[in-house]
Amino acid sequence: MKLIVNGKTHEVDVEDDMPLLWVLRDELGITGPKYGCGIAQCGACTVHVDGISVRSCQLAAADVDGEITTIEGLGNPLALHAVQEAWMEHQVAQCGYCQSGQIMQAASFLALNPAPTDDQIDAAMSGNLCRCGTYPRIRAAVKTAASRL
Amino acid sequence: MSVTREEGLAAWERIYAVASHPRCTNCHVGASGVPMWEGLSYGPGAAHGMGIRADASRIGAQSIPCRTCHLTTDSPNSQPHAPPRIAQAWRLPPVELDWLGKDSAALCAQLRDPATNDGNDIAGLVAHLQSSPFVAWGFAPGGGRSFPAGSVAELAEDVALWGRAGTPCE
Repeated sequence: MKLIVNGKTHEVDVEDDMPLLWVLRDELGITGPKYGCGIAQCGACTVHVDGISVRSCQLAAADVDGEITTIEGLGNPLALHAVQEAWMEHQVAQCGYCQSGQIMQAASFLALNPAPTDDQIDAAMSGNLCRCGTYPRIRAAVKTAASRL
Repeated sequence: MSVTREEGLAAWERIYAVASHPRCTNCHVGASGVPMWEGLSYGPGAAHGMGIRADASRIGAQSIPCRTCHLTTDSPNSQPHAPPRIAQAWRLPPVELDWLGKDSAALCAQLRDPATNDGNDIAGLVAHLQSSPFVAWGFAPGGGRSFPAGSVAELAEDVALWGRAGTPCE
């Protein structure tokens, strides 16, 4: 099947029900999205499909209907996404395992709602777990990014 | 074929048993926009995790869209605790279809009035039940979730019967 990931077209030979996360990580070597729970409960695997955040651990490859963006394609070292810049400024990451999912969720959220309230930020980010407890810095970084979009 | 008031009331009781089941009321939550997670293993009164708010859009457009986790696909729902998915975009019902916590009389009065049931006459309600992927999923939710007794066909038949009886409530 054909998948467009970060602007590049890939032909992959996988079972229809293979989770997109495994296609990205094992077939294409795109390892930014992480495995956490496998049932869309933690958000570590978050990527975008046509700009909307989805949990790639439970999205079957055959059900992908749009262009995929991973953390590797959100920005680049010379032109970071506003969320990535804010993440660096606030030094959000601790262990870092959940952070690509957090950033992808925040970027999708701010594209839909560029002027969110604190409650909306909390609601949008509550499906992304961080076992290090970086939530206050996540919220601060989302607010900073929102102010620049 | 004529239907007696008693037969209509009996049909309503069966309808209410379905409509008040957590598989229905978990999404028919009204203006709060907070879906519920009753009827699995979370106990009564458990709200959807992750701070979900469907808001006025009913799809969480201002925070996290339902489709982030609830996929649009006809793939099976076999995995416990995984977000259920159907072949239609996941969303909450309209705000006015607020059933959570309502008793039989209140819900009956609401459902028989097009002004409070999203503009449906009895034929419209029957057609909705027969065609909605959400209703079909509700009777076979998979993943160890509880579900109401009966079937889509039996529920639609009961609504039609209740209508022919004059939509009695009590």
